Amino acid sequence: MRLSARLSRAFRGAAAIAIAAVVLSCALLRATPVAAATLAIAVELPDGHPVPDAVVTVQPVGRKLPPPAPTHAVMDQMNRMFMPEVLVVALGSTVSFPNSDSVSHQIYSFSPAKRFQLPLYRGKPYPPLLFDQTGIVILGCNIHDWMIGYIDVTDAPFYGTTDAHGAWSAHLPAGRYEITVWHPRMHEQTPTLVRELSIDTGDSAALTLQLTKPLRPAPMEGGSPSWESY
Amino acid sequence: MRATPCLLALAGTALLAATAARAGAWELDLDLRAVASDATTSVLDGGHSPTRFSQGQSGLRLGRLRLALDMPLGEVWRIHLDASAWDHSYRHPFGLTEAYLQFRPYPRNHLRVRVKAGAFYAPISLENRAGGWASPYTLSYSALNSWIAEELRTLGVETKVDWLGTRTGLPFDIGAVAGAFGWNEGAGAALADGGFTLDDRQTPLFDTVGRLESPGGAYIEPFRQIDGRVGYYGGLDLDDPGRLLITALRYDNRADPSASDAPAHILAWRTDFNAAGARLEYGAGWTVIAQWMAGETEIAPPGTTLEWPFDARYLLLSKSWGRQMLSARYDRFQVDSRNTEPDGSQSGHAWTVAYVFDAGKSWTVTLEWLHVTSSSYSWGEDLGFSGPVTDNQGQLSVRYSLGSAGY
Repeated sequence: MRLSARLSRAFRGAAAIAIAAVVLSCALLRATPVAAATLAIAVELPDGHPVPDAVVTVQPVGRKLPPPAPTHAVMDQMNRMFMPEVLVVALGSTVSFPNSDSVSHQIYSFSPAKRFQLPLYRGKPYPPLLFDQTGIVILGCNIHDWMIGYIDVTDAPFYGTTDAHGAWSAHLPAGRYEITVWHPRMHEQTPTLVRELSIDTGDSAALTLQLTKPLRPAPMEGGSPSWESY
Repeated sequence: MRATPCLLALAGTALLAATAARAGAWELDLDLRAVASDATTSVLDGGHSPTRFSQGQSGLRLGRLRLALDMPLGEVWRIHLDASAWDHSYRHPFGLTEAYLQFRPYPRNHLRVRVKAGAFYAPISLENRAGGWASPYTLSYSALNSWIAEELRTLGVETKVDWLGTRTGLPFDIGAVAGAFGWNEGAGAALADGGFTLDDRQTPLFDTVGRLESPGGAYIEPFRQIDGRVGYYGGLDLDDPGRLLITALRYDNRADPSASDAPAHILAWRTDFNAAGARLEYGAGWTVIAQWMAGETEIAPPGTTLEWPFDARYLLLSKSWGRQMLSARYDRFQVDSRNTEPDGSQSGHAWTVAYVFDAGKSWTVTLEWLHVTSSSYSWGEDLGFSGPVTDNQGQLSVRYSLGSAGY
């Protein structure tokens, strides 16, 4: 399933516009075929600094590949923040919320892809949750209002998040692909960056995606020091 | 004699703390200060100075002793109790500053609802965001928020509804708050009597502003219900959590200024104001806060009406790095008097600079210098000169905090 279908209805039109806009913008994207066997993605800020934790999904165009295998992932709570801020999992995966803080949390989501309420009290582990619908699940905490985290549930056969150097790579079979990059604090005019490219057998490609605007600032670590939030 | 209720309140709160320790959270703070001041007697002690401490009070002082409890009742209800003692002699030296029940259901359909009932602060201050309504930036609150600490408290119900845009992909939430309250018809008397101050003393519930034994014997009781009218406030905010908060609020205690509690010779003070503010937090530890307030307090004893329009504003700039934080704040404040005599009129401005060092899990060291320049009609009447007076107050605070942080 393409990202435009995974995002909320409000994002769909914008995602379509994104495809055209990105193709037209030479400054935004530059594809450089190189002699390698992998697809290598790099995401950069306008000043060239890397963008870590950006979600990359790769969907085949015009054909189907086997869906990704479900996995088990961890979305922890540390220093009254979600860790990681952004998580991408395959459709059908389970995610646990272990709560490494000394305080309690009450995690919730009312995103269409997964609605839940999860009290995380000290010493009371909660079973992992199943994420069985594609889409972006936005997490909050009913006690610490500033906490916000994201789980992207995807059926793309190839997916991941960029590392500290803003890089992500995967081995792909030959064919045509649509590559989508998303970060929750992207400040672009469109919610995603999308690019199509073809890879022949034995070929590879390196793709650099450069944002046109800096990311929105990350929330303050630990959030407000107010007792209200305990 | 005053030690008896103090010890009883402390013992009762400690007992509740022990009971609640397993289920909820508790915090205990002891704040000791080394004070150097060149001010005359403080308004809080029956004098005229807007600082908390006078020259005669220089030396080692108790800044604050605080015990707070936060107990969950099931998953979506909680009780909060906050009690403190200051280095002043009041009716109840150790008293509750806040005590409320809160309903906090999980957000649904993009809406978050919070309901409070009891006694608590209206959501006006943007600097008093630490436990116990303290400021993490300075020891002395701004003039605007010092007045709120002295005279305002919601004894009633408040509902806040937030539309959570941040949970739908937008960068901000939008909130609306409404409160209904009573027992605040004495609010405004301290402002008309002594003007704005810059201090961190919060009037305990149903207590007095100023010493009972102050010169002249006059003291002020802000938490009185005289005419039975219900006050209200309503406000809006736009919140990019941890980044930008913009607030606006209208407050009116709706007191009948002609009403009085005749046996006690206490008048009802009609007090209303508008307040607005913004707090911007940016990367690299920068915080900017600006707040403004303007309104009027009024009494109408038989045959006359006495009015005191007032306004106050401040700008605070703070930079934190590692365990350290440096803050500077500029205050301006004014009380006018629309009476035959300008009793209670005041005009002033102040600079506050504070350095905070987080010395470990339990220790915080703060060094603050406060410089206030103010003039008031009372100065001229009582002291024989009318020019502006400058007060300087330096404080070194060492605070030890204990807590369960279990909720």
